[in-house]
Amino acid sequence: MTHPFEKIFSYQLSSQLEETGVYTLTSQERSWLKSMLEHPAALEALEPRTIAKLRECTLDDELPDLTGGLIEKAGSREVQTVHPLLDPIRRILRHRQGMTIRCTTKKGKLNDPQPGLPCKLEYSMVKREWYLHWYNSRTRSPMHTRLAHIVSVEETRMSRSRYEEMSARAQKLSEPPRYEATVEVLRIYNAELTRILHAFSCFDKRVEFDENDQTYRIHLNFSGSESQFVLTKLRFLGKRVRVVEGEYLKWRMRETTRKALALYGVEAEAKEPADDGSGEQTAAKISS
Amino acid sequence: MAKESFDKEIQFLRLLALTGGGYDRQQFAGRLGISVHTFDKTVRRLREISGDADFADLFRYGYADSAEPVLLFLYRAKSMKESESRRLPLILASLKQQPLTAAELLDACCQQLPAEAAMPDEKTIRSDLRYLEEIGVVRRQPGGRPFRYVLNNDLTDCLSQKELIDLYEFVDIMANTQIPSVQGYLLRDNLKKALKSAVPEDDWNDGLLEPFSYKYHYDARILDEAHLYTVLQMIRLRKRISFQYFSPKNRKSYAAKDTNPLFGRENEIRRESTLPLKVVYDHQYGRWYMIGSASKGRIVKFRMEGMIDIAEEQEVPEPYFTQKTAELDERMRCSWLIDTGETVTVRARFYRPGREQADFIEERVRLQGQWGEIVEADEESFVYEIRVNGVTEIRPWLRGFGSSCEVLEPAALRQSFIDEWKEIGDYYDASI
Repeated sequence: MTHPFEKIFSYQLSSQLEETGVYTLTSQERSWLKSMLEHPAALEALEPRTIAKLRECTLDDELPDLTGGLIEKAGSREVQTVHPLLDPIRRILRHRQGMTIRCTTKKGKLNDPQPGLPCKLEYSMVKREWYLHWYNSRTRSPMHTRLAHIVSVEETRMSRSRYEEMSARAQKLSEPPRYEATVEVLRIYNAELTRILHAFSCFDKRVEFDENDQTYRIHLNFSGSESQFVLTKLRFLGKRVRVVEGEYLKWRMRETTRKALALYGVEAEAKEPADDGSGEQTAAKISS
Repeated sequence: MAKESFDKEIQFLRLLALTGGGYDRQQFAGRLGISVHTFDKTVRRLREISGDADFADLFRYGYADSAEPVLLFLYRAKSMKESESRRLPLILASLKQQPLTAAELLDACCQQLPAEAAMPDEKTIRSDLRYLEEIGVVRRQPGGRPFRYVLNNDLTDCLSQKELIDLYEFVDIMANTQIPSVQGYLLRDNLKKALKSAVPEDDWNDGLLEPFSYKYHYDARILDEAHLYTVLQMIRLRKRISFQYFSPKNRKSYAAKDTNPLFGRENEIRRESTLPLKVVYDHQYGRWYMIGSASKGRIVKFRMEGMIDIAEEQEVPEPYFTQKTAELDERMRCSWLIDTGETVTVRARFYRPGREQADFIEERVRLQGQWGEIVEADEESFVYEIRVNGVTEIRPWLRGFGSSCEVLEPAALRQSFIDEWKEIGDYYDASI
């Protein structure tokens, strides 16, 4: 029976095998791969010839199809699992070279080509989309661009020393300042603790439990670009949680409630533009 | 069912992953319903497996965009006998060189094992081979007795170096973006080794293995895959199961088996019995549910994380299973998550961001709004409509949009949003 707890996966065995260069492949792994080859992303990520070979090798691993009993709910529509630019950008990353990149703005305007250095390819599980972190060597600034907004990328050769120098600079700049905030779970909602912790589980956090007043506090640590998602989670959880430390988040929550109530005509206020700025802009304001 | 239970470790790791290691030992042990002594023992064991001296740190730093699933080591926790852990690598390494018979493998083992080690007999080697064949790691060559065995690595052997790199990247992406993922992560680790042995040392570039990054992952999700296959298997076999259930509202998430019968009764947890019909993965929180049919045909829902000690029970007749599944499908057609209550129409107006900004609100609604539709739209706003079972599960999503979303219908939901925003507003007014 398929079971992920197999002796063959045990750390005792794999540490022994490590030195010999021997590795093993189980039916479980092959049948997982077999089901993934059915996903439309396979056609984009692999050559038809490779897929044919892999199918051939997984023919005998006819483990019963168990996925009939499995459904997924409340997920984002899966817009993009692989992107055609992943391969060329990975190649530039591997070669440790620079690039000339041409992007459009969020509104669709085409920008001039820019010289730079690719740093990291990142997939957002929330947006279901790929991003490139890169360093713009003309403006000397760290960039974060959706692959969907990149029109073209070409490798530009540079010397190893120049690469190292630029890479170090990019590295330094790509570590954005981080912010801290403390969120308290209102005691009457302690019974919903696991739900609340699950909601915050994708952040860097530490939970503190105060035995005396039976209160849970979640200390969050996040970058400016993550602050928008932290806010979404706070609103998502509603009255169960309260920001107790972190002036910026408190201010944003206050603004949200004021504007939300105005929508419902609860306070005699004119409608203002919605309070839901994009991540990039909030980063600047957060330093308060 | 698995002979060795990892229930304690799973509960422990979940608590650790969710809290970032913020509890002290006493609090931890209290929540797990075990003694501090057992707690320390579990920590020691997990540390040994993870190979990390201070693994609470794993959960604190670089956690959000880590490409390496920190909890995967749970699946490497299966223990083996010392003699086995010496013998199996010898067998596998010998088979990598050439196809061999059981007798030849016995010779190879006896030659290579240290003199003080207990020597295996041919029966042991045969049973090792049987196990390896069963899990698909080795394969028998065609031909008569004595059978020759060969390492079954065709999957990687048949690929060129470029294809191997493509496969590694594909597996990395799929393991990280799809469910289930544990087998994908395990395969990815093996492909790393395959790449290392396929690329000549002079051409080696660490960049080959540098994985992609994945942001906003729910790491604890892979812990529940421990029970996933058992439950899916039972669904396929149309079998009832029984298990101990710890509701998430229960303060303790695990209870040690009592050795003192005097205290047994008080801690006795009722065993649930149900016919599993579906497993649901909830992307909103990264959690798993099992939906089943209880004795009187009632639909019952359990959080997978609360289910332990699962046991196989009787099979049900196929027509009964088909009927129950069809009923459930019908009732869940409009479930935002798993609510099977009354269907209502929810209408909400979403306000677009200012004209100078890209319309990320509509983009998000289209991305996350499931089967709901945009029924009216103008330059400033649009109306989204959905038929959904109950309002409880969709509420948090709507609220997540803050002041970009105004609930229009049903009236009771609209009123409760007003009340809730007032209440939340009070939290912050008081703090000025």
